[in-house]
Amino acid sequence: MNPFEFEFMQRAFVACALIAAVAPLVGSFIVQRGQSLVGDGMGHVAFAGVGLAFLVGADPVLGALALTVVAGLLLVRMGRGGLAGDLAIALIFYGGIAAGYLFASRADAAQTQVVGLLFGSPLNLTWPEVWVIAGLAAAVVVLTVALYPRLVAMAFDEEAARVAGVPTDRLVLALTLMVAMVVVGGMSSIGLLLISAMMVVPVAAAAQLASSYRATLALASAIGVASAVIGLLGAHYGDYAPGSAIVLVAIAGYALAAAWRSIARRAAA
Amino acid sequence: MTPPGPDRSCPLELDGVSFAYGRSMVLWDVSLRVRQGEFVAVVGPNGSGKTTLMKLGLGLLQPGAGQVRLFGQEVRSFRSWSQVGYVPQRAQATSALPVSVEEVVVSGLAARTRRFRRLAEEVERIDHVVELLALEGSRRSRMAELSGGQQQRALIARALVTAPQLLVLDEPTTGVDAEARSVLRESLRHLVEVEKMAVVYVSHDPEGFSGLAQRVVEVEGGRMREGHGQPAVQVAKG
Ligand SMILES: Nc1ncnc2c1ncn2[C@@H]1O[C@H](COP(=O)(O)OP(=O)(O)OP(=O)(O)O)[C@@H](O)[C@H]1O
Ligand SMILES: [Mg+2]
Repeated sequence: MNPFEFEFMQRAFVACALIAAVAPLVGSFIVQRGQSLVGDGMGHVAFAGVGLAFLVGADPVLGALALTVVAGLLLVRMGRGGLAGDLAIALIFYGGIAAGYLFASRADAAQTQVVGLLFGSPLNLTWPEVWVIAGLAAAVVVLTVALYPRLVAMAFDEEAARVAGVPTDRLVLALTLMVAMVVVGGMSSIGLLLISAMMVVPVAAAAQLASSYRATLALASAIGVASAVIGLLGAHYGDYAPGSAIVLVAIAGYALAAAWRSIARRAAA
Repeated sequence: MTPPGPDRSCPLELDGVSFAYGRSMVLWDVSLRVRQGEFVAVVGPNGSGKTTLMKLGLGLLQPGAGQVRLFGQEVRSFRSWSQVGYVPQRAQATSALPVSVEEVVVSGLAARTRRFRRLAEEVERIDHVVELLALEGSRRSRMAELSGGQQQRALIARALVTAPQLLVLDEPTTGVDAEARSVLRESLRHLVEVEKMAVVYVSHDPEGFSGLAQRVVEVEGGRMREGHGQPAVQVAKG
């Protein structure tokens, strides 16, 4: 049975491939800045936003977007106020997951709905939801392209970038908002607990093989899309949870890339 | 009131500057003037505050007291950053992700290249600094594959790519062998003598700036001593 014949599979492929293509673009900059877990923290906050939306009967995407943006601003603020980035992330992280479940249980949200958000349920998407995801993905691409030279300069060396005239404070804010967009765009397809993996794992895999930043980004994006397609096919034929399958395929991709690199190194030596 | 235009004659001026990290005082009432085309070496023991002094001078830290001016302008309102090149002291030049030498060098232009196309003069300048720092053969190489000396030269090229009038180098010879050090010295000589750049060179190692430094200042115990026109090695107390 050809999975592409089903419209729900078409929607799943479009949504997962788009978000998996753009997640590593943003992820590369947070990995390079040593903040790989920022996406994870934002995922937890988005969960609180969704819980709150359930409680007041608002749109979950809007709830998640609102709360991640607020958390992003707070995170940047706290970082500047001297509270170590790591600790700031941890506070928001635990606060988010606790508040999210508190709200969701108070709102009597179905357990399947909650699990779907945490681990992704791309087969249940509607076309309007897919268009929202496409819009968020497009916004991430536009921002990445427009800010690319500055983001690279800042990610590589923040102080040197400041002396070169790069407005790093505003740029950190923009990057944080981009993380929020990816998290919200990926929550219904890949899941809030797993979307962060798609920001980091394809980048780690690409870094094994590429020799420039630009090539790393391009390759990571391709690895993201390939993981989404293979993961969804696996989920379809093997009846696995799609979000988890996608992330596990990406991790397998990383293992392959790392193995390839160590073989290539040994051959060169 | 319009701010005065950049004053080329005094690229860097710290006047009566004091600074503390939290409660621990690092610098007391320190002053330093660097004139156009001047090569000033800054020496002093570990932890004496040399890096802190440079960060104050570049507006990366705000002084508790005193004034900092770049090209005659208060550092807080200074905007002509293409006039300034900075090579930070390297904790480690390790980058989590692959980055090519060319990408590192070009990142020095990040604030200027708004468009996707590079201007002809930018391309020319990139080629010039790459050649000046003897990096032609490794433009496409991954930074991580280079020697310590080559990495340092790539960071210097990044600082020079906007053709600044002031170059601040913080311990540029850490982990660099004698041969690479002499390549670096010749590049710096060219910058001071031909491009008339003002250079502030922070180092433990007097050999790196001997024959180049017109002035050596010593930071010790949070205060500064100056030795005008004296041979570097004597003032630096070896
Ligand atoms: N971010 C910081 N927070 C707190 N204290 C700091 C910080 N950076 C430096 N210090 C302290 O300030 C003092 C001056 O440090 P600084 O790095 O300016 O010295 P330095 O002369 O550059 O030393 P080195 O020769 O090792 O490079 C040291 O005692 C150092 O421990
Ligand atoms: Mg230092």
